[in-house]
Amino acid sequence: MKRGVRPPRPLGYAAAALVLILLPRVVSNAFAIDIFVRVFLFAFIGVAWNLLGGYAKQLSLGHAAYFGLGAYTSTILLIRFGVSPWIGIMAGAVVAMLASLPIGTLCFRLRGPYFAIATIGTAQALMLLFLKFRNFAWGAEGITIPYHGNAPLMMQFDAKAGYYYIALTMLAIGLAITYWVERSWMGYYLVAVGEDQDAAEAVGVNVPRIKRDIYLISAFLTGLAGTFYVQYIYFIDPNTAFNFNVSVEAALVSIVGGVGTLWGPVVGTVLLEPTSALAQSWLGGAHGGVQLTLYAVILIVVIMWRPTGLLGVLTGAYERIVRAAPSGVPATATAEPKGAPLDG
Amino acid sequence: MTSVVAQAVVNGLLIGGIYALVSIGVTLIFGVVKIVNFAQGEFVMIGMYISWWLASHCGLDPVASLVVSMPALFVAGVLLQRFLIRRVLGLGDMPQIFLTFALSLLLMNLALLLFTANYRTVQTSYTLSAIHIGPLYIGVAKLIAFALAMLLSGALAVFLRATDLGKAMRASAQKREVAMLMGVNPDHVFGVAMGLALALAGAAGSLIVPFYPVYPGVGQVFVLMAFVAVVLGTLGNVTGALIAGLMMGLAESLGIQFVGADSGLIVVFAMLLLTLAVKPSGLFGGRVR
Repeated sequence: MKRGVRPPRPLGYAAAALVLILLPRVVSNAFAIDIFVRVFLFAFIGVAWNLLGGYAKQLSLGHAAYFGLGAYTSTILLIRFGVSPWIGIMAGAVVAMLASLPIGTLCFRLRGPYFAIATIGTAQALMLLFLKFRNFAWGAEGITIPYHGNAPLMMQFDAKAGYYYIALTMLAIGLAITYWVERSWMGYYLVAVGEDQDAAEAVGVNVPRIKRDIYLISAFLTGLAGTFYVQYIYFIDPNTAFNFNVSVEAALVSIVGGVGTLWGPVVGTVLLEPTSALAQSWLGGAHGGVQLTLYAVILIVVIMWRPTGLLGVLTGAYERIVRAAPSGVPATATAEPKGAPLDG
Repeated sequence: MTSVVAQAVVNGLLIGGIYALVSIGVTLIFGVVKIVNFAQGEFVMIGMYISWWLASHCGLDPVASLVVSMPALFVAGVLLQRFLIRRVLGLGDMPQIFLTFALSLLLMNLALLLFTANYRTVQTSYTLSAIHIGPLYIGVAKLIAFALAMLLSGALAVFLRATDLGKAMRASAQKREVAMLMGVNPDHVFGVAMGLALALAGAAGSLIVPFYPVYPGVGQVFVLMAFVAVVLGTLGNVTGALIAGLMMGLAESLGIQFVGADSGLIVVFAMLLLTLAVKPSGLFGGRVR
């Protein structure tokens, strides 16, 4: 199958990496660095979502469940037992991963839209549970992460650059995993499942196993993001940790960029996150709902105009400029997903 | 104790009638057009805002405002099908799910921009009145809402069985290709199905306004209930959605009574997970899809 990405050119990537690594040394504006951190973080969550939702086409709208479990695990370890968030982040990711086993077992019994609904349900149910755990997880009031000043061992930094590098590293790891999955047998199996589950099953793909495995990876990565976010904003409550917007953004950035592509979630986040940050700073917090209204409009336009995502539009334009070949077929003419028959 | 249970059952059934109305809309769209409308709850919200606006600006009774909200949402449904839904049919799950999902986000946040997050209520002459039957206490507004909800559900069932258009609708739900070969115009049938489903959502909104606050996110409550009810009552099955909708109301009410005031939704999600674990095809389904 064709993919929308050109073969990697090591020099270009090295240059881009160098620029990103040196950037916090040059840019000292905290607002700008904050936007970068958010772009890396949400691109990372999008990358995690994309493994399941983009390649295997299992459209989850409940990734907030794993974000929240990661966040709560590390925070409970930190505050109740004084465990460093560096250990907590791994523990949280493992808890998220383990939680995906029973959740996946139940939700994968449904397909398509009803899988999405079931995942919303599980994330909401977890939020409600954490609202009820008043003694153990502080209930609705939430808790503030104790401030230690500059304490790298406790994942706390007085400058935003520290968070910048962690988020950048997470994104790089997520992309590396996606790159590896895309090129392994697993990637091909996932795409087969995404195209047509029954056909994949018929040619011998172990569909339940492959879906379970990719869900484990996706949940693990989303759990990492949860811990990082709590450490970044110094606060946790069920509404932050299991916020529906996390589930929405994970899917949104991938769809806007291009589902089932390595760079799609990154492109989507780079387009969306600064736009929404700027819209909010222009219009101010007085107009609740501006950000999501904007997202909804962008989503509708992308789906109606280019359901394969904007990455294809960008690479197509790039190729046209570079080659200017009249017969050049855009490299991203990937096959449209064909609708599975939904009788019954 | 028995009277407490009986009261919870009565309250649950009354609100369940409204959940049933929303669920029937979801299942009708799923059955005929083969998409899941994530924005169904937002059309309940729009129905509520229409009735609230008419009540507070023109003094119109919310039940009387059905004659505005239902036709308005019917037209909205036909237009929605014509200009948006039609273009993503046959493109696979992703565009279909995220189109209606984006629509839900858009409508909810537009409502937030237009009306702010404030809760609005409508007081009618019968909002606080109730009928006492023995130890039971039945709110008049809820009783009217329930009765009209059942009437509308019945009317839809009659429409689907007795009219040519209704039969064409059921035919295209069963086998779309064959129905088209028999001369059924899918665009027409899909448009009417969307229109009817949205009109039912609008009716649900107008009916609950006398006893339920209006706010931009109110649709989420109803759409979650409807989704669980539609899974429980077997996808695409109108009678199943009706019965399951009533059951959802019952489950929520009993959950609030016996588990705690904030536990209505937990019971509902537990029912969803239980259904998925035990019988994913729902109560009325034979085959697992």
